[in-house]
Amino acid sequence: MNIRDNAPLREKLAAEYVLGTLKGGARRRFESYMHNDAALRLLTVEWQERLAPMAEFAPAVQPSQQVWAGIERRLNLRPARTGWLASLNFWRGLGIASTAVAALLAVVISTRVLDQPQLDYVATLTDDKAHTALVLTGDTQHKALTVRLVGNAPVASDKTLQLWAVPKQGNPRSLGLLADKGEVRLALGSNAIGDDVALLAVSLEPKGGSPDPNGPTGPILYKGAWVRVM
Amino acid sequence: MSDVPNLDPQQLRSWLNRAAQHDAAAFRLLYDATSAKLFGFALRILGKRELAEEVLQESFVAIWHNAGTYQSHLAAPMTWMTTIVRNKAFDLLRRSDVATEIDGDPFDAAIMDALHDPAATPIEALELSRDAAALAYCMSVLDGAHRQVLGLAFFHDLSHSEVAQQMALPIGTVKTWIRRSLDKLKTCLTKGARP
Repeated sequence: MNIRDNAPLREKLAAEYVLGTLKGGARRRFESYMHNDAALRLLTVEWQERLAPMAEFAPAVQPSQQVWAGIERRLNLRPARTGWLASLNFWRGLGIASTAVAALLAVVISTRVLDQPQLDYVATLTDDKAHTALVLTGDTQHKALTVRLVGNAPVASDKTLQLWAVPKQGNPRSLGLLADKGEVRLALGSNAIGDDVALLAVSLEPKGGSPDPNGPTGPILYKGAWVRVM
Repeated sequence: MSDVPNLDPQQLRSWLNRAAQHDAAAFRLLYDATSAKLFGFALRILGKRELAEEVLQESFVAIWHNAGTYQSHLAAPMTWMTTIVRNKAFDLLRRSDVATEIDGDPFDAAIMDALHDPAATPIEALELSRDAAALAYCMSVLDGAHRQVLGLAFFHDLSHSEVAQQMALPIGTVKTWIRRSLDKLKTCLTKGARP
């Protein structure tokens, strides 16, 4: 059958191809027509545009985190790292910041950043297995706090990570929300770096941050302390 | 559905283009923004989480590999991605002979209510994309049984005769309903009809 000059038939076949009711030999024939007929391909795309949004009639459901882990493994995707912070790879194995490690970090930092912002504070935040999860650098001169995730810490899309300064006394102070990967820049004020700050902590909170102004509501995932390096 | 992140086509298109250049970070953002929607869709087709997760993973691997062939002037990003998910889901069904349950209503209850009676449940309350809201409106104007026939075909990969069997209708009736419904949808969507 010549379908080139039969506009209603072309329309009907394209629509039913997209809907899925065109099956078997008829479907394969339609695909071979499309191969040599750009106008027919366009007609088919138009029907896809019309009908594909039906997919949205199914409610959104969060897939498990293994799905992304599987995709990442199969495609061999690595989180991209840039600049001098690439050396964080080196820190990752160091684990919790003991005094010796802190001293070593101080050397690493001060030798690497001569031409960089004045990074005079650094903190590594670790998980409960003492694996480094985040590295914070503080630049008091520019009042800048940079939080960098080492590796990936996937967070469900309805959650967010929140950074806190925990003082020796009183309520934890929120320093801001973090992305679940990459780098976040926050303001560095005395609330973050003051002498009374005993601990830095990251909690898992609902999207938008802890609903409680006095502190975290979710579990503490990572913690660590500032080390003064200069 | 309230936690579905930004599905702005411009944004999705830009992430897709960057993924085509092997930008893994952009690809992750694309995944974060679309995976819940696409997973919900795969789950609707397959009914089982493990199968839907397998399909979602297959689909994103394909999206990564084919992002370079995505032609943004032809199809909207979500259209392109849902088509991939749908094809992968149907492939899996054919390959594995998994029997999926076909319930009478291929649509989510909230959507169904809105389609039945847009006055009681406004379509705007469903947080659909503009394209999906327009389609929902145009489908709400169809006869209920006609709408069901379209949904069975779309979500369950049924042929005319399988739809006929499912709905206990003569195949000629199913063919006529589908043809007329598709014509009506085209006219309604072309008019840019609004609820």
